[in-house]
Amino acid sequence: MRFMILRKADQNMETGALPSEELLAAIGKYNDDMRAAGILLGGEWLLPSAAGTRIHVSRDKRTATDGPFAEVKELIAGFVLIEVDSKEEAIAWAKRCPTMDGHCEATMEVRQVFEASDFPAALAPGLTRHASAKVASDAGKIVATQTATVS
Amino acid sequence: MRFMVIIKATKDTEDGVLPSKQLLTEMGKYNEDLVKAGIMLAGEGLHPSSRGARVKFSGEKQTVIDGPFAETKELIAGFWVWKVNSLGEAIEWAKRCPNPEHNDFEIEIRQIFSPEDFGEAFTPELREQEDRLRAEIAAKQ
Repeated sequence: MRFMILRKADQNMETGALPSEELLAAIGKYNDDMRAAGILLGGEWLLPSAAGTRIHVSRDKRTATDGPFAEVKELIAGFVLIEVDSKEEAIAWAKRCPTMDGHCEATMEVRQVFEASDFPAALAPGLTRHASAKVASDAGKIVATQTATVS
Repeated sequence: MRFMVIIKATKDTEDGVLPSKQLLTEMGKYNEDLVKAGIMLAGEGLHPSSRGARVKFSGEKQTVIDGPFAETKELIAGFWVWKVNSLGEAIEWAKRCPNPEHNDFEIEIRQIFSPEDFGEAFTPELREQEDRLRAEIAAKQ
């Protein structure tokens, strides 16, 4: 089963406070632990919402509004994507996420990721062509190409 | 530049309403266009928050709260990770997101940290560790 662990934003992160070397090292170790356990599929940190935009999509219009966005509770600051056997296992990994900098109020959200098999077969016979697996495999080829180019 | 393009939750996504055949087909075409343009790095849909949980950290304490979570505006329903040249380019692509059922929803575009954005705290050793991690993950795809 795949899960996202979402790091919810807080005021500190929204002001652009950068993680210390100590915290970055702790996160590096955490990522490495997940990799060693064979569960890590990906993850990213997000810049504050001041660097972002929202697009409201409706019947007739698509309207863009630049950040920052005031409601911090509506924002995420980063995520990891993992493959584990159960929600409980995902929660256990979420509990291990380092949050230091002498400021230990943080919220992680654990959410299950859709698999192609979650869609009833009758709903989308063409789905297997566009399933997550294919997207990931195509994307993996792009990433692998880019990584090879950079190194 | 890399961006996380987030589809925010709605009452429908939280109620577990599955996308229609038409939406799945149009979304599939859209995803293929993103892949062909060399933009798509990742994309996933999320089950409703009823299948999720939150872990609140407060000092030494951790509290687990099971979903569902009532504040839909605080939730996400899916995301992509894109590689593009600018926020403007990400916005243009995001505006093309299919909406055959004429629903109302929000897309949030957030820039992803690149190593330079962390400054000196992201030491050469940490950077190497991350490069190795990413290469290993990419090789697994």
